[in-house]
Amino acid sequence: MSTHDVPETFSIPVGPLHVALEEPMYFKIDVKGETVSHIDINAGHAHRGIEYLTTKRTMYQNVVLTERICSLCSNSHPQTFAMAAEKIAGIEVPERGIYLRTVADEMKRVTSHLFNVALLVHLVGYETYFMHMMQVREIGQDMLESIFGNRQDIGAMCIGGVRYDLDDKSIAYIKGALDKIEAETKDIIKTFKTNGSILRRTKGVGVLTHADAITCGVVGPVARASGIDYDVRREAPYAAYDRLPLVVHSLTDGDVWSRAMVRLEEILTSIDLLRVCLRDLPGGPVNINDRPDIPPGQAVTRSEAPRGEVIYYLRTNDTPQPERVKWRVPTFMNWDSLRFMLQDAKVADVAMIVNSIDPCLSCTER
Amino acid sequence: MNFLTIFARNLKQGPQTEAFPLGPAFTPDRLRGRIEFKAESCEGCRICERVCPANAIRFAKTPDGMTFDCWHNTCVFCGNCEFYCPTDAIHQTNDWDLSHVNADKFDMVEHGLIPNQTCVDCGATALNTAPMVKNAKPPLSAEEYTELRARCPKCRAKYLKNRKVPA
Repeated sequence: MSTHDVPETFSIPVGPLHVALEEPMYFKIDVKGETVSHIDINAGHAHRGIEYLTTKRTMYQNVVLTERICSLCSNSHPQTFAMAAEKIAGIEVPERGIYLRTVADEMKRVTSHLFNVALLVHLVGYETYFMHMMQVREIGQDMLESIFGNRQDIGAMCIGGVRYDLDDKSIAYIKGALDKIEAETKDIIKTFKTNGSILRRTKGVGVLTHADAITCGVVGPVARASGIDYDVRREAPYAAYDRLPLVVHSLTDGDVWSRAMVRLEEILTSIDLLRVCLRDLPGGPVNINDRPDIPPGQAVTRSEAPRGEVIYYLRTNDTPQPERVKWRVPTFMNWDSLRFMLQDAKVADVAMIVNSIDPCLSCTER
Repeated sequence: MNFLTIFARNLKQGPQTEAFPLGPAFTPDRLRGRIEFKAESCEGCRICERVCPANAIRFAKTPDGMTFDCWHNTCVFCGNCEFYCPTDAIHQTNDWDLSHVNADKFDMVEHGLIPNQTCVDCGATALNTAPMVKNAKPPLSAEEYTELRARCPKCRAKYLKNRKVPA
């Protein structure tokens, strides 16, 4: 081949271990110059066999096991699993338990969204602001550690209610922490709307049109940023969401900036919901204070994890172990849309676009 | 807040990182850390063994009684054992400092023994567990509790049945 016959396209690997990727995902990217012309997505690097393992553990052990599927949605998984078990056994969660479930859910959502948007800023290259945002998130992490005893696996859920309770002192502490996070989040939103570096790198990048979003069936903030006004908390309320003033944020541009903005607005909504929950917190028991056997049966439940809709299918039999547990996580729906987002993108934006769907491979590949 | 304000605030506050190991680390009261077992309040129901997702808890019958072992290197610190324990015999302390040299890895165990005793009524050998009297009505007095505890399970049932309940 002479020097004049340089091929027009090159194929470059991104991942599974890559400096800019946060998740072990493998992309084979064909580039033409600096532009992506075709991508191949390959997964399977984080498989741990948890689905099989759930059938070897009892229902009560599985609440803890499902919590360890994913660290950032570590409340949504056991909650949806417990909801399925309660549906089969016909267990009614006490009113206070319902509110406390919502509190745990929204606290995790705040820290999860802050983490994702902070990583976006990191990939934009604005390291100072990344450090600042992680410090804001640290207020939330300290809150989780102080209330639940762990920064990530908060262990709030049990079949029949929640495992923790709040007293006046902890409620005052949460309120104080929320005030701090709210003020900082408002500043972050202002920065996202005005900062040139962030706007130039994220506006109009990785666009997922409304039509493509429907084709891919995306969920969560990715769907809402493409103009799909859908939130499980509103469409199929669980926990205490039917009693709360939930605002669903959606934008129409479908670019990286919109997805970050939807997440930032959702942080403020979560803080509002938390305040209402703490104000209206009813008295009484937090769980059923019992450990009933779950009868044979099957159930499907769903909830809105920080990344989108998570669906659980549970089938039980006469043994203490479930016969089958299957979950569909939001990233499974969202990563196909990367084919549309990455098409004709610049190579330098690939990591940022991948991060914008907030991928979580540990729950997708479990 | 513009960046200069954040800068000024951070300059005043100093580093956000903790000084550990030179200073104390942030440790909330509710932190779920090392397991603590109180053999004297254990009922011997072994529910902790069944709900432990990591199988870190093991009970074993020995000539001296029943032993309890919680392997901290297997434990995932989920707190299921404490949550389901009917008598608060298991407690998660907020001690998180579990670092140790490799030679000590088999010593990271919380050990307890529920000793054997001889029943004061029938003379049989039985475990000196805490009696399951959570739902006894009216609640047992301290004296009754001691008397009940000194008996084997069969004689305990008899004792509770023959207990004079004031009308």
